[in-house]
Amino acid sequence: MPAIVRRVLGVVVVVLGAALAIFGAWNAFGLGPSGEARFSVTAKDPGALVVEPDVLNSVEVPVRITATRSDGGSVQVVVAPSVDARAVLDRSAVSTVSGVHYPAGTLDLRTAGVGSSPGVRTADVWRLSAKGVGSAQLVVNQGFGPETAVVASGDAGPLRGVTMTLTWADRAWFFDALAVALIGLIGAAFALGDLWHARAQTGSIHSGSRNRGVIT
Amino acid sequence: MTRKDRVFALSIAISVSLTGCGAANSVLGIHAPPKVNPSAVPLTPDQARAILTRDFTAAQQGDTTADKTLRDVLRTAYTDEGLRAANARVKLAKVQPTGAVSPLLAPNEPRLLAVPRGFGYPRVLLAQTVASEGPLPILYLLTSPDAATPYRIGASATMLLSTSLKPFDSLAKGSPLVTDGTELTVAPDALLGAYAAGMAFPAKASANPPFAADVFSGQVRAKAASVAKAVAAQATFSQTHKVVPQSVYAVRQAGGDALVFGVIERTDSFAVKTGQAVNTAENKEFVLLTGKKRVTKSASITRLEFVVFAVPRSSGQATLVAASEQVVAGSGS
Repeated sequence: MPAIVRRVLGVVVVVLGAALAIFGAWNAFGLGPSGEARFSVTAKDPGALVVEPDVLNSVEVPVRITATRSDGGSVQVVVAPSVDARAVLDRSAVSTVSGVHYPAGTLDLRTAGVGSSPGVRTADVWRLSAKGVGSAQLVVNQGFGPETAVVASGDAGPLRGVTMTLTWADRAWFFDALAVALIGLIGAAFALGDLWHARAQTGSIHSGSRNRGVIT
Repeated sequence: MTRKDRVFALSIAISVSLTGCGAANSVLGIHAPPKVNPSAVPLTPDQARAILTRDFTAAQQGDTTADKTLRDVLRTAYTDEGLRAANARVKLAKVQPTGAVSPLLAPNEPRLLAVPRGFGYPRVLLAQTVASEGPLPILYLLTSPDAATPYRIGASATMLLSTSLKPFDSLAKGSPLVTDGTELTVAPDALLGAYAAGMAFPAKASANPPFAADVFSGQVRAKAASVAKAVAAQATFSQTHKVVPQSVYAVRQAGGDALVFGVIERTDSFAVKTGQAVNTAENKEFVLLTGKKRVTKSASITRLEFVVFAVPRSSGQATLVAASEQVVAGSGS
């Protein structure tokens, strides 16, 4: 391998390795030893909050959904096959999670529809359901997807000022992040060593040439 | 390539793959959501059992209470013709011994027979119970017309003596509705239509019916002949049977056969002969429904007949496995 190519690749590996090490360490710090990732949003518009399967079923670990009403009213969290949840909500006012920001821990909402959906309280489609005064919490296990979670008012009144938090937790994530950091660190160290070694070798050759010149 | 070169290349590959493929996704295991399985079961067995418990509890409250305000709970238990029959039964409770004629009386420990398969509507649940008043099991059909409407009892009928049910697919697999009937010896709608026509009085001739002779239709026809004879001097009696639209549901069984539920509306009509007056005081159901103890022109009594057939897939006639009837309306002048 030509020396110049090797030197360029070495620099690339050092940069990538360092990036991985920083990324892994940063994730390990963010997730903590429990491997918990938490995302929250407070809805400004009235209507149900919806978590579709591209978020709810995107990871093979349970999702804990917590909903808290600022007015202390009744709130319910329900989960159903996506086809059924969409049919129940129909064209009612909903705020759907459209973006998840890590590590900021925030969620984006996309608002659509008008009016309430009384079917949320009457329908038999919900596989899981939790209801409470002020707040409600539900843990959605995986393996039944695609499913959709809905946070709705637990009474006839409209749902306003509700804060929803989605929490995923997997201890393996913390160790995975550590492993990534370690791989990056090793890669960067190895490439740095190789660059150092090559530079030293070049210096030695140059020095040898000069010596040979002196002898001849 | 020297050994050193190979190790060097490998470290580059690892670094590039981890970074280029989205390190965050790799670390967190993020993937695309699963696809919809069109033949999945939309209800877990626990959900279905909770629905049965809820509906039967409401049915029991509505059926047994004398408090009119509590009778609204009937609407949470029954729907369609099931509700029509339940309302009439409560109205006639004074003159109609509930235990003797009520196939819809809420039973103990319902057994879940079948849950829906797929995400289409309507969806049905089938359940079976043994009434506390009698030894014969009762079959229940619970329907949900759309996602926002809960399951409610749409029909029920007492099983006939010496009949049995073939098994359904497991609750984990679900049982699909038969929508066109082309894979059965007779289409469900055609079967119910032929059965209704076969019970008319005066009788109409029908050759090669798709159903086997049964006790229920035999009793209906015999009673019609008896009534016609009894009132012959004062009135002309006729009886019609009409399948209630949208009341026929066929659920596929494990072997390919189907269990078909249907509701037939039976109307007994009396045309009083000129100059005659018929005293109806003895018919307490009629008096309670119409308020009339005497008719001089005409009278009619409407009943709902809930029937359940076992329909084979390949050959043979359909067999009536359950049937019940309930007076629901009357009129007279």
